[in-house]
Amino acid sequence: MAQNETRQDDMILSLNSIEVLYDSVLLAIKGVSIEVPRGGMIALLGSNGAGKSTTLKAISGLLKSERGKVSRGEIRFDGNLIGDFSPQDRVAMGICHVIEGRRVFEHLTPDENLDAAAPMSMSRSEMASEKERMYEYFPRLAERKSSQSGYLSGGEQQMLAIARALMTQPRLLMLDEPSLGLAPFLVTEIFGIIQRINKEEGLSVLLVEQNAIAALEIVSHGYLIENGRVVMHDTAEDLKKNSDIQEFYLGGGEGKNFHDIKHYSRRKRWLS
Amino acid sequence: MDWIFLGELTINGALTGLLYSLVAIGLVLIYKSSAVPNLAQGALTMMGAYVVLAFSHNLGWSLWISIPLAVVIMFFVGMGIERVALRRLAGRPIVMILMMTMGLDIFLRGTTLAIWGGTSRSMNLGVSYNPFFVGDMLLSRIHMVGAAVAIALFIGFMVFFRTRMGIRLRAISDDYLASWSVGISVERGVGLSWGLASIVAVATGVIWGEVQGVDQSLSILLLKGLTVAVLGGLDSIFGAIVAGIILGVLESVGSFYLDPIVGGGSRDLIVAGVLILTVMIRPHGLFGRHDIERI
Ligand SMILES: Nc1ncnc2c1ncn2[C@@H]1O[C@H](COP(=O)(O)OP(=O)(O)O)[C@@H](O)[C@H]1O
Ligand SMILES: [Mg+2]
Repeated sequence: MAQNETRQDDMILSLNSIEVLYDSVLLAIKGVSIEVPRGGMIALLGSNGAGKSTTLKAISGLLKSERGKVSRGEIRFDGNLIGDFSPQDRVAMGICHVIEGRRVFEHLTPDENLDAAAPMSMSRSEMASEKERMYEYFPRLAERKSSQSGYLSGGEQQMLAIARALMTQPRLLMLDEPSLGLAPFLVTEIFGIIQRINKEEGLSVLLVEQNAIAALEIVSHGYLIENGRVVMHDTAEDLKKNSDIQEFYLGGGEGKNFHDIKHYSRRKRWLS
Repeated sequence: MDWIFLGELTINGALTGLLYSLVAIGLVLIYKSSAVPNLAQGALTMMGAYVVLAFSHNLGWSLWISIPLAVVIMFFVGMGIERVALRRLAGRPIVMILMMTMGLDIFLRGTTLAIWGGTSRSMNLGVSYNPFFVGDMLLSRIHMVGAAVAIALFIGFMVFFRTRMGIRLRAISDDYLASWSVGISVERGVGLSWGLASIVAVATGVIWGEVQGVDQSLSILLLKGLTVAVLGGLDSIFGAIVAGIILGVLESVGSFYLDPIVGGGSRDLIVAGVLILTVMIRPHGLFGRHDIERI
């Protein structure tokens, strides 16, 4: 028991058998349990429609705007239940969710995007130095800080979305498919920066990806989610070595089509 | 052609146009922070005028107290509208919200009619009706006052939208979900924009109430305001000013030439023509933002 409690304390985030209902009828995730250690980097992998974004929205509270709700289970951040908090409260507590599709404020400049995300309680000088820090992490943004964000390239928009999230001073950063649609060299660059921030500042990261190859390079552990359920949980090393994962993520070219994954998850259930 | 007369038509047209800009600024404020065209802005304007009259007429208080009181009350009315009518609609399709503002328009008109009746009342601002002479041209004083108020509001809001709060409101109008994701209170931001638009409605109601009396017809200013806002670009305050001047001059000079030909009533035709042509040829208006294609 005592051992169990220390374990709890090591976790900045823990989900216990979370279920999410959309429109009161559609069960999108069915008992997901995951944990993110303080200062750790964890990946949540899975194919399209598996329930990855839904899981992140349950944590950030953004479900409410899509008529979804957590119908079972508990979410703890820093040991506290957060189920009843609004999205703003959760951001203030230190959870920030970079939503899918790099949705920057298109008609604002990158500089204004960062301004908009700074908490109102942050002083002007603090805000200026935070922005400087962001431009140091993402030099490409510094070059374009006064242009209209809607016209930035995909990679720059993703960097801006991440920098904007960091302006909220999170202790847990959740990224929803940051690599989607980006050239491999950009994915490497962005993941490198995330890794650097994790190391330098102890920021905890929950990374959602379909791109398992890239994600497993930077995280310590990964969860594989399929049809709203966690079907596998292991260290990144072992996941990379796992023959099933290799089969559909690492082998045979792209090899991550939906059919293969379906096949895999069926097999996996028989095996376990 | 009598150049002095043409000059007079043009300048008085521009001044009237700036009074339309007042209505348009209210529309733009809400559009800029929540991407909703507020079809109740005309009715809010009328209500602002009635609230001022409730103090200045019914209670006999000075306008210097009545107007600030009305500003405070209407600010909370605006915030209240967001809280009661719009909050539950956040994130729903814009059409639903548009219909809600239309329902509000009907509701406010019905309520003011029930409370204050249909007879026209005067605002009694105390601005002289004697024309103001610029050379040989005769200009209307109340229109000059109204134009000055429009310019002052324009400058005030240009500054406001560069402040941290103003930037947040612009962020909200860009993307609700992304705003929530970084801890911006979308609800409070939209509420604030309704509060501000309702303050603008008081200023507009006072000026227009002085120009044409306070009655139900004030709510029809929505049509002129909407035309100006669309021509200027629904999210551009600068556009609201420029488009107001353009519409006012077109209306004043145009109707002078057209009325004898079509036998009167060409003002409305000109307004309709401007609205229709803008939507057809330049849907984002003169200064409105383009929708950016996602890359
Ligand atoms: N707003 C929504 N309303 C109803 N169903 C949804 C909504 N968002 C997602 N879903 C459903 O929930 C399931 C999981 O979706 P999602 O979490 O977006 O998956 P992923 O991010 O892994 O691709 C899918 O079946 C999807 O159709
Ligand atoms: Mg997703």
